[in-house]
Amino acid sequence: MTVETVAAADKMETPVWVRTLLSLAGTLAAMSVLVWVLGANPLEVVEAIVIGALGNPFNIGQTVVITGILILTALAAAIPFSARLWNVGGEGQMTVGAVAAAVLGIVLPGTWSPWLLVPVVMMGSMAAGALYGAVPGWLKARFDASEIVTSLMLNFVAASLAAWVIFEVYPEGFVQRTEAIHVNAELPRPIEGSLVDIGIIIAVATAVIAWFVMRHTRLGFSIRAIGANNPASRLSGIRTERVTVQTFLMAGAFAGLAGSLIVQGRDHSLLQDFSANLGFLGIGVALVARLHPLWIIASATFFAVLRVGSNSLQAGAGLSPVVGEIVIATFVILLMVTKVIKFRYPESVDA
Amino acid sequence: MLNEALVLAFFVIGIQLMVPIVMAALGEAVAEKSGVLNVGIEGMMLIGAFATAYMGITRNSAGLGILAAILAGCVFGALLAFLYVNRGTDQIVTGLMFNIFAVGLTGTLHSLYLAGQNGETLRGITIPGIGSIPWIGEILNKQNLMLYLAIAMAFGVWYLLNKTWYGLYARAAGERPLAAESGGLNVLRLRYPAVIVGSVLAALGGSALVLATSGGFVPGMTAGRGFIALGVVVLAKWRPLWIMIYALGFGLTQGLQFLAAQVPTLQSVPKQFWVALPYLITVIAVVFAPGSTYPAAVGIPYRRAGA
Repeated sequence: MTVETVAAADKMETPVWVRTLLSLAGTLAAMSVLVWVLGANPLEVVEAIVIGALGNPFNIGQTVVITGILILTALAAAIPFSARLWNVGGEGQMTVGAVAAAVLGIVLPGTWSPWLLVPVVMMGSMAAGALYGAVPGWLKARFDASEIVTSLMLNFVAASLAAWVIFEVYPEGFVQRTEAIHVNAELPRPIEGSLVDIGIIIAVATAVIAWFVMRHTRLGFSIRAIGANNPASRLSGIRTERVTVQTFLMAGAFAGLAGSLIVQGRDHSLLQDFSANLGFLGIGVALVARLHPLWIIASATFFAVLRVGSNSLQAGAGLSPVVGEIVIATFVILLMVTKVIKFRYPESVDA
Repeated sequence: MLNEALVLAFFVIGIQLMVPIVMAALGEAVAEKSGVLNVGIEGMMLIGAFATAYMGITRNSAGLGILAAILAGCVFGALLAFLYVNRGTDQIVTGLMFNIFAVGLTGTLHSLYLAGQNGETLRGITIPGIGSIPWIGEILNKQNLMLYLAIAMAFGVWYLLNKTWYGLYARAAGERPLAAESGGLNVLRLRYPAVIVGSVLAALGGSALVLATSGGFVPGMTAGRGFIALGVVVLAKWRPLWIMIYALGFGLTQGLQFLAAQVPTLQSVPKQFWVALPYLITVIAVVFAPGSTYPAAVGIPYRRAGA
């Protein structure tokens, strides 16, 4: 791929950071108009979002937890997108990871020490997500099947799997959730009285690892080479099929880990509608960060504030929490219009 | 046990569920033939569905609902065309973001205006002659205007792509844009109407979904149908008649969950399996779509020389 910053021809144009700010301003302006048309006061909405996300320790805790999850689902999009492999299946890979965490957290012996149980369940989630993610990757490599269609379809299959586990396998009375996982499988919450668990540390560490892999390993080089020019990288000896599968395995593992954070960290069981689109939003988070793993940390924080903050809009300004979706989509599109996010294409199909 | 009424009901539902996929897939075929991969049809269906439900509920008119979907398809189709064609933004990313945008927009508007309300639906149309044929007549009598509109669209799209100067030129823009431009065609101007027409058809697909069910809007009600349509287009190799046939297959597969709920022998299978089945079949179908390749220029923004 390469989201390129400044190509030679753009050298004389406005600097990237100016165009980024312009895009942000444009997004805010568009949102203000929309909110105003819908009969709410834009300033009150902003205030409600900030207070809703950061107004008290409880809300800050929620925001931190969502940040960790978004970092991971964004990585699940960013790594394949860097190879121009369109993994839109992060939602499903996260779901399968969450299902694995719930099942393992219920069936493994609760007497195991947390030092054993927490990592075993977590690795189970990652493995489940990775294998599920590998499916569209392998179908792409082996049959050249459109990964956009296959990975998206598998989201719905995963949702059905989750519904089956929630309602048929481990139902919890009449509540739309599974039984609770063992206490020893829960992620520790180091801060007294706060929701924040160690998931955020795991997520940030994962982003750093992803950055290292992309920058300093052979695999990362191959992924970027395929994104820049697939035919050329094949000719130069990169085994593109193999890298495709590896890329999806890695992405699926990240998304699966996000599922583990949700179940082991946030909810302690598998809830119906547990995801609230976080897998999908990861795509936007990754794009705003221009697919850079470290920038994803900042981007995820921003959108976590927006997401958690907009939960309070229903009560405050009478708006639905999904306005965050409009913001992220508008922002990414404006970043593309202003060419902050750029993709490179084969020279011409006519040749 | 399987009885006649049950089988008939299954086909009635299957055909109703086919219609939205046919419309969206036809729209996608038009855009792709001109060289634009419009991943945004899922969102366009959602917007069309909302527009129809809104008019159905507030104005009690299915006709106004269909018109509103067409208008919404034009407006948002023009926006997408501006991005895809004029600005040359990445088509896949733009389409994905448009889908997220549509989820946010329709979700917000729904919670403000329409939550929990049902609106207008369309009644079945009886065609003299056909309506009295056993089985087929009974199935078709329960189908509304949208089925016949979908069939008309399929012929219309076939005619447009194969029998008009526009279709010929648009296909040239989708296969060899540089050659087309050298031959004096304006690639950008050819792609514009294709994206808009494709968007209108997808919005009407959303409309059909609403008019066949409760007349109300449910957030996320398209449930991946736009992406199933993307798969159908590839399977059918961009041929309208085959799009109808494959879409019928998917409609019937989606109808299976209603059949399974009624048939005791099928009830031993978890009902979630039937919900997942159409998506699984789409995956398998895309994998085994024999020798289907996209028009050569699909997905690549066209830049005029020197621009």
